Amino acid sequence: MQARFHDGRTAQAHDVELTLVDGAVLFYADGQAHRWALAGVEVEVLGGLVRLAAPAGGDGRLMVDGAAWRAATGGVAPSGKRFREARLIGALVAAAAAVTAFVFIGMPALSGPLARATPIKFEQQMGDSFDVQISAPLRTCKQDPAGQAALRRLGETLQRQADTPFRIRVRAVEAPFANAFALPGGAVLVTDDLIAMARSPEELSAVIAHEAAHVEKRHVMQAVWRSFGFGMVLDAVVGGGSGAGQQAVLLAGGLSDLRYGRQAEAEADARGQDLLQAAGLSSQGMAPFFARLAGKGGDAPGAAELIASHPASRQRAEVARARAKPGAAAFTPTEWAAVKAACVTPSKRPARR
Amino acid sequence: MSMTEGPAPVRGEAINLEQRAALSSFVGLSLKNGLLNLVTLTLYRFWGKTEVRRRVWSSTYLNGEPLEYTGRGKDLFMGFLITLAVFGAPFLLVSFTAQLLGPAVAALIILPLYLVIFFLFGFGMFSAFRYMASRTVWRGIRFEARGSARDYALSYIGYALLSVITAGWFWPAAQRRLAGLLWGSLSFGDRPLRFDIEAARKVAVYPAFILAGVGVGVMYAVIVGVVVLLSIGAKEAGASPDEISAITAVAIVVLMLIAAPLMVAAIAPYQAAKLRATAAGLRLDDAGFRFDLKWPAMAWLMFTNVLLLIVSLGFLMPLIQARTIKFLIGRLRSEGLADLAAARQAPQGPRTAEGLADAFGWAPI
Repeated sequence: MQARFHDGRTAQAHDVELTLVDGAVLFYADGQAHRWALAGVEVEVLGGLVRLAAPAGGDGRLMVDGAAWRAATGGVAPSGKRFREARLIGALVAAAAAVTAFVFIGMPALSGPLARATPIKFEQQMGDSFDVQISAPLRTCKQDPAGQAALRRLGETLQRQADTPFRIRVRAVEAPFANAFALPGGAVLVTDDLIAMARSPEELSAVIAHEAAHVEKRHVMQAVWRSFGFGMVLDAVVGGGSGAGQQAVLLAGGLSDLRYGRQAEAEADARGQDLLQAAGLSSQGMAPFFARLAGKGGDAPGAAELIASHPASRQRAEVARARAKPGAAAFTPTEWAAVKAACVTPSKRPARR
Repeated sequence: MSMTEGPAPVRGEAINLEQRAALSSFVGLSLKNGLLNLVTLTLYRFWGKTEVRRRVWSSTYLNGEPLEYTGRGKDLFMGFLITLAVFGAPFLLVSFTAQLLGPAVAALIILPLYLVIFFLFGFGMFSAFRYMASRTVWRGIRFEARGSARDYALSYIGYALLSVITAGWFWPAAQRRLAGLLWGSLSFGDRPLRFDIEAARKVAVYPAFILAGVGVGVMYAVIVGVVVLLSIGAKEAGASPDEISAITAVAIVVLMLIAAPLMVAAIAPYQAAKLRATAAGLRLDDAGFRFDLKWPAMAWLMFTNVLLLIVSLGFLMPLIQARTIKFLIGRLRSEGLADLAAARQAPQGPRTAEGLADAFGWAPI
């Protein structure tokens, strides 16, 4: 059959006559005999043409009429190709499954020991760095310094009861959602919407004690490790080490949204109540607050955020009610008024109950 | 060996490029690649991309003979792994440590790191070009990009800085020079292509560049103005802050949707001019090139590409790449002769490559 031959040394074309003998392609070009074993020939179908290459024998190419080639070879298909592709896809799916298992099983399991092994100084420095970054979107409330002072004192009271090297620093911040959260190193941020939602000093102090317990148990650092592991994997698989994965995790989760898991939440509930009781304060505020969240999630705009990061409120309310003990209120009436006023500006919307 | 055959009556042949891809076949390929990317956490992308290139190359005909793409998914994957080890891990380590050391130190460490990234961006683009050239074969002969990725990267940083200093004014000249560095480094076998920057300069790019800058600027100003007026109006009408932010969010989305085709129309003339300038500068022997490219067609291509990308949530990227190349090659003309048959084989190209460019998503296809 007729073919055009490129010898892979120059771009000159040679017209050649092909014959198929003993499982090999034979042809003469430049007065030289060429023999390509069919087993090593790569076939690419291009419209009506077929392109043949024999990688083992150099860069030469043969262009053959497709119909003539099929007639001569009985339509030799690239046999191993499909199998190789299936094997490749199988291996890649397995790799992806291993990565997923690492993120959802390995990293959570490792995060506890890693958090406990993290030097205190590291966590503090990281917390300071987080704090600077988060202060830009979530500005500290400046309306009533006495309210901030009262919050700060509650943090110090809880810290004295807690077994932690970190200084628990509580402050009120402006945010478009209701939540309270701890940063690495002991900073606890309470948003203006959450303060507006709380109906009594007991309720607010319960939420703050819960966050203080997260700090003490180093849940915060644990969540940081988990999200770091997730970001690292995302980076490795998708981002190619560009740091894009870390950025994506930060963007998606946000610093304010480190998830702890159900077990850690339950632990923080119980420990938070213990801390309040140890300080002689009432731990009766937690149950009504959670019950209210479970009862009507749409109580305040932005409460969805709080519920999402503190799930299963009804059940937690029952557990908290069973453990609750009476005690002093965390804030005097004067302090409570100041806390309520900490973020409320005259121009702002009317304060919620 | 062809020297002993005696001189041919006419040295060389005219260059005629054709793109014969059946675009419908790229829809199926897009879906296949997209689904496999999903189940493999995108690890399949190296092989998917290779198949796209193979099909685009083999449906591109130079003087009646199809090009051939000889790259392998494995090459890209290995390049990716090497990049990960050499750049990714140290980068992560440095930025993580910087976080621990506090904000002031973090800024000191991370800022120079971004300069390094800029360098790597240029380096990666050239490496990707070199890899693709070495895997492009015609009549059994490879292409080769002979320039230095480091020089390209340094030029890239220098031109980018110049553009910043001149408030963007230098950017079209920078893009012309960078295109020259890239395409001028190319050779078919041992026959070098040249980039004649003077010929490229004869294509006016600045009017279109100014139009693009002014057009996009005006549209942003209008959007910002409308949103500000709207929020002031809503506030006076007694809307709550939540309502105001909802109104402005909706307004921004609606305005962007209206502005998108207009922005594409504003940018398209510059895109077309830039490509015309690049083609005008390119020469192979006595053959020169010319893009028969008008801005309305360019605008339509860009607009439909964006639409396809959004509607398919990115799934149809292979189709978009194929139709873009088909569009461009269909408008590329050449005059004069090039002695293609005299080309002798180029050395083997890099074993693995492109990791860097792939990592940052810079490779154009």
